Amino acid sequence: MIKVFFIAALFLAGKVSAHEMTPTYPPLVPSYVDGLVSAKMTMFNSRNDVDYFEVGVFDADWKPVPFAATAKIMRVPYGTTKTFEVFVRDEDKNRATFICSLSKLRTDSSARTIVSSKICSRTEAASP
Amino acid sequence: MVKYPLILTALCIPLAATAEEALIEGNVQSKCIINTDINGVYGNPAPDKLSTKSVDGGVEPTIRFDVAIADYYLARITTPSSFSTSPSLSDVVNWTGTTTVGEVSDAGMSAYDAAKVTYDTTSEFDLTIAGSTWFKVDSVATYGFGRAFPGGTYRAIVQAECIAQ
Repeated sequence: MIKVFFIAALFLAGKVSAHEMTPTYPPLVPSYVDGLVSAKMTMFNSRNDVDYFEVGVFDADWKPVPFAATAKIMRVPYGTTKTFEVFVRDEDKNRATFICSLSKLRTDSSARTIVSSKICSRTEAASP
Repeated sequence: MVKYPLILTALCIPLAATAEEALIEGNVQSKCIINTDINGVYGNPAPDKLSTKSVDGGVEPTIRFDVAIADYYLARITTPSSFSTSPSLSDVVNWTGTTTVGEVSDAGMSAYDAAKVTYDTTSEFDLTIAGSTWFKVDSVATYGFGRAFPGGTYRAIVQAECIAQ
């Protein structure tokens, strides 16, 4: 019986797809560009139905905060890790609370619900 | 005369016995992983109804949240309130949806359901225990007043968010 559960668990594990972003509390540190602070983030994609993720920076009321990154919509192929930097103006340093990544879903012809995943880290200055 | 070599030997032995220390470091990082275990399928039990409930012939989307450290994250799940893909619809679609805790890796997580905060189509769960929680999502769409959904492909999106507290 245990073997059956184990085999079933292996099959289920194969179907699982995940989205992960770290660190949870990134520090906003002075960057090499004058007047900007930056946070280094790492994303891992094991969702085989997703290739692109949108990065966003928000304040405590979920209002967008201006930011710059290598790309706002970035490609993170299935099974890979991507490290990227998010730049925020010095004057927005205390306002920037959340750095989020949102999965971008492809349109296809399957008739089903699909899950959009979003992970938000809280900047160290805004952490409790 | 014999004393000096003995003292010198005694001084040298501890030096020779000094070994390099091998340091092993570990770091447990707080992180949240959203796993889409099952994407879900709409069943069509009546001409005017699409539902992910198993009694209606659908498949409930199942989302697993893994948290490494307790009390760092909030899970927020929003059920659909519109189709992302559908044929042209001339009448209003009424949406209902619920999110419930399914399987849990720790018995204490069963309390998440009672403590959840619901507003609009969103349910919020405070992930106070480290481990895995499976959330099941029901989504039901009814069309007009007993009108049949036109034939075609229907697709809706469940949004799963993991927010650092």
